[in-house]
Amino acid sequence: MASTTADDAGSGRLAGATVTMRSGAKNIAYQPATLNPTPSKRYYLYLMLPAIIILAAISIYPFLWLIYMSLHKVDIGGAGDVWNNFKNWSRLARDSKFQDGWWLLIKYSAMCMLLEVGLGVLLAVILNNSRFEKMLVTIFLMPMMMAPVIAGLVWYYLYNGTFGWYHWLLQSAGILGETSILGDTSTAMIGIVIVDVWQWTPLIILIVLAGLKRVPRDQLEANMVDGAGPFRNFLQISLPNLYPFLLIAILLRFMDNFRFIDAVLVLTGGGPANSTKILPTYLFDVSFQFFKLGRGAAIALTLLVVTIILGLILVRLFDSPAGKAGQTSAEN
Amino acid sequence: MFYQPKNAQFRRVSRRKFMELGGGVATALGAGSVAVGLNSTIFRSSVQAQSSDDAKWKQYDGSKLVFMSENTPPSFAIRDNLQAFYDLTGIEVEILTDDLPVVQQKVGIDLRGGNADFHLNYVQDKPIGSPFADFYADLTKFTGDDTLPQDPEGYGEDAWFENFLTACGVYYEPGRIVAFPYDCAVACTFYRQDLFEELSKDFEAEYGYRMEFTDETTWKHVQDFAAFFKAVRESGRDDIPYGYGQHQGSFAWTTQLDIQRMLFANGQWTEFDVDDKLGSKEPGPTKWGDEQSVLIMQKYKDQADVSHPDNLANGTLELNTVYQAGDIAMQVQYHEFAASIEDESTSRAAGGKTAYAACPKGDPDWIVGDGPAVNGTNCGIGGIGINASASEDLQRAAYIFAQWAVSKETQLGVLKDLGGTPTRKSVFDVPEVAEARKRPTSMPNALTFDAVYDNGIRDPNFVLGPKIPEANEYHNIILTEVQRCVSGENSAEEACEEIRWQVDDLHDI
Repeated sequence: MASTTADDAGSGRLAGATVTMRSGAKNIAYQPATLNPTPSKRYYLYLMLPAIIILAAISIYPFLWLIYMSLHKVDIGGAGDVWNNFKNWSRLARDSKFQDGWWLLIKYSAMCMLLEVGLGVLLAVILNNSRFEKMLVTIFLMPMMMAPVIAGLVWYYLYNGTFGWYHWLLQSAGILGETSILGDTSTAMIGIVIVDVWQWTPLIILIVLAGLKRVPRDQLEANMVDGAGPFRNFLQISLPNLYPFLLIAILLRFMDNFRFIDAVLVLTGGGPANSTKILPTYLFDVSFQFFKLGRGAAIALTLLVVTIILGLILVRLFDSPAGKAGQTSAEN
Repeated sequence: MFYQPKNAQFRRVSRRKFMELGGGVATALGAGSVAVGLNSTIFRSSVQAQSSDDAKWKQYDGSKLVFMSENTPPSFAIRDNLQAFYDLTGIEVEILTDDLPVVQQKVGIDLRGGNADFHLNYVQDKPIGSPFADFYADLTKFTGDDTLPQDPEGYGEDAWFENFLTACGVYYEPGRIVAFPYDCAVACTFYRQDLFEELSKDFEAEYGYRMEFTDETTWKHVQDFAAFFKAVRESGRDDIPYGYGQHQGSFAWTTQLDIQRMLFANGQWTEFDVDDKLGSKEPGPTKWGDEQSVLIMQKYKDQADVSHPDNLANGTLELNTVYQAGDIAMQVQYHEFAASIEDESTSRAAGGKTAYAACPKGDPDWIVGDGPAVNGTNCGIGGIGINASASEDLQRAAYIFAQWAVSKETQLGVLKDLGGTPTRKSVFDVPEVAEARKRPTSMPNALTFDAVYDNGIRDPNFVLGPKIPEANEYHNIILTEVQRCVSGENSAEEACEEIRWQVDDLHDI
């Protein structure tokens, strides 16, 4: 037995210790022996160190290098990088492809997000507790299992104006003329949005289904007792409970869309007439077709900053009272 | 170092066990490194100028090389025939093939990064040669080397078809050769002779001249043909295809080539005021935006209006598919595609229905000023080049392969097996090649040889440029603005002015 102060007692290092209170009174209390007392902060630091080093190597160092590159004319061939007086940045201000790329990216992301979330919620509600839920969910998930570049190739062939089955179908139905969906500047964007919606709506279904499973039955039943029908029940009970789930889904899809490139490259390469040249595609061109790595770095940084800002806004929404309310009720 | 509860239950790793594990990991890493390292190995035996030919071929016996190439017939045929090269030299060659844009990115990173993962590259003239010319070894240091096996026909301009060596091998400075001509794709006209014959009388009644292709057929005629076919089709004859299709799609280079043919045909217009065959790292202000370019841009747009409706979606490959499917009656296409057109199992245009002619000529009414009207013809001459970052011995071993790959025997084999496109003149001296230029033929690409080798590639018809380091960005600018004009988003004047501004900005002008 040892004598110690109340502060030490809290650490739980001693079993059955005689504790001297600050008032001077002695209190002998039983405290169970613990095999794993709380380790020091240094202990946690050691545990985290490998991860921190790896993170620094693969994330922080490239990030700093990206900033460096954006300020230089970069030549990976060994001729040396040359400071170019913010030319990479000033060029962006007059680069119409960069500005158009942003506008198209926003348009593309918004269209994908609206359709995917809308369809995802609708299908999840239909699937929830349905007779064939498991089978249907499995079927719906199939596109998601496909590599985006493969999905792009599949749709490229389906859309093809010469032998594409979907083209033939749409043409037979009188929806399309002889111009294929990817060959017209006014419809090409719709073509790539359809591919994204086809591939990623299942993710929303999955997340929303998980959310629907956690909607408290007592709330649903109470609302029904109050005379609510299924639709009102969904609006008043299910939807608020789905709020955090939807935010997660939107955050994931939004970040995905902002770095999306695979299917666009395969389907249109950004054309025709740059009508689908969303910013990541232009970034790819600048960096790996034109090998303007400095300018590419500047574009990438703008993309990164906007992604971080929008990500933070979404996370803040997640932490907002409405988000927390949704989380709490889901936990209940 | 780490906190350990005194009575914690776990199995300690003994020092011996630790050493065993460490040894295992080290062995695995070592084996992996050796395996990766073996990807490019070099062994050399000493060879003198007086050594036997066999010794010169075999001096790098046991070595291994990697060749990054486009997925074109020569590479497939050579890959199938690598055993012959291995038997001759003992050098193992791995040929990797991919689409040209992918090849361009991969070799670009390899070359610019100072690596030598690919010792040999496919040097397609403008997309790869122009931006990366400085990163290739000068082949002239090998061509006169007595300790290396050499092709008896040599490697001078005369050994190849006209302009080929300059097209793919010479950039910015004369005398330095970075690649030997390995394969080629030269533009010529493919047209449906059966349909032309069927509709010629109707056309003549309407337009007052015969619908036929000769060396004197102009772009204006082609536009008339296309408008006629379109009108016939839209009058209710679904069995008649559209007349024409352009090279648009997503691969920028081929769109640049497509409009360049028309521009050069009309007054030999070129983009910059530089030596078109040699190119320039500082080409100066572009001529885009001048009266001639605006006029031709408008004509190109007019041509698009009477072409296949899915024009903007069709790149070079897709356009050929459209022609194979029987959906257009004419295309200016690269002669390497003739083999696919003549394949009856995949093409409705096969079986003698297709004839081949030179690229259309310029029209005097379309020429501003006093430039000549020519059969403007351009190409993609694919060279084989050696990565300058590779060691001297690897470069020498690579040279042995390069000069074998472009030899007459190899090219003849490719032509027979897979429908290749020869670059060495001497291939035409082979009697069976001469015979193959007429139907029936066992070498369908040979049907284009009159139009290509006897006409298109010869001066004054041949146009190469612009060979500029920024070629790929330049092509991209052209693609975007041409498509904007064709789709009606911009006028011809606006498109040319936009090109001028962007291209000059690209060159800091």
